[in-house]
Amino acid sequence: MADALKAVAADVLADPVFAVCALVAVGAAVLMVTRRNPVYGALWLMQCFLAVAVIFLKLHAPFLAAIHVLVYTGAILVLFLFVIMLLNLQPRELGQEHSRPAKGLAIGVCAALLLLLAGSFLKAAPDGAPFKEVAPVMVGVGDTRLPIPADDWGGVEHVGAELFDRFIVPFEIVSVLIVVAIFGAVVLAKRKL
Amino acid sequence: MTKYLLLSAMLFSIGAVGVLSRRNLLVVLMSIELMLNGVNVALVAFARFHQNLDGHVFVMMVMGVAAAEVGVGLALLIALFRNRRTVDAGDLTTLKG
Repeated sequence: MADALKAVAADVLADPVFAVCALVAVGAAVLMVTRRNPVYGALWLMQCFLAVAVIFLKLHAPFLAAIHVLVYTGAILVLFLFVIMLLNLQPRELGQEHSRPAKGLAIGVCAALLLLLAGSFLKAAPDGAPFKEVAPVMVGVGDTRLPIPADDWGGVEHVGAELFDRFIVPFEIVSVLIVVAIFGAVVLAKRKL
Repeated sequence: MTKYLLLSAMLFSIGAVGVLSRRNLLVVLMSIELMLNGVNVALVAFARFHQNLDGHVFVMMVMGVAAAEVGVGLALLIALFRNRRTVDAGDLTTLKG
């Protein structure tokens, strides 16, 4: 286990972009969870999402990185900020927080979860499981085959070809889900039905 | 790839701390987003490791579900605040006998 930890630490130090982004993401996440005022929490969450988007770029997922910034920071967090401003919470309306022992218990449970996850990851891949070079692939849309060079792996064409070929049914189901959610949100937030 | 998985485990655990230890429903919803985000990092890392794009498609689905969840969740929050003037999960005890 110690060797695996050492291998991962060396791997992180050899990759400064990842090290900085991971540090920013985890730090911003901790600050988000601990801020009392939800506005600051939302802004720290935005910082965390931007760092995660850079991590996606590192993982050869440029399209997902762009979509992540658009959907999470552009749509979801703006919605959060809108709602926070709409509610215009006064300090006394923020409510009480849990007592110190309850918080300690929650942190303890989650630390145990983290140790379990980290331990199993380190045990499963003691060498840090380095990535292989990306190989060019052919993706199919119907009868046509589209060559994806290694540089474009995970790009718009690649994801689009997979999404609209093999995953067309789940994709459409998600679109129905979002329509239902829109109706639900409108009905719930309406003052009078 | 282990470093990416460790990062994803950390984000997920921090989000779980937020869900369990906070009572402000806005922060709880944001923490759920953080947990989903941690899972997304793991999915993209596995997709890169196996050079299989299924993980990316999964992440798109997660993003769609997260957007729907936030929309409904925030609408519920607004309805709640309008009726009870609170966003504290501990104040919601009307089901208590």
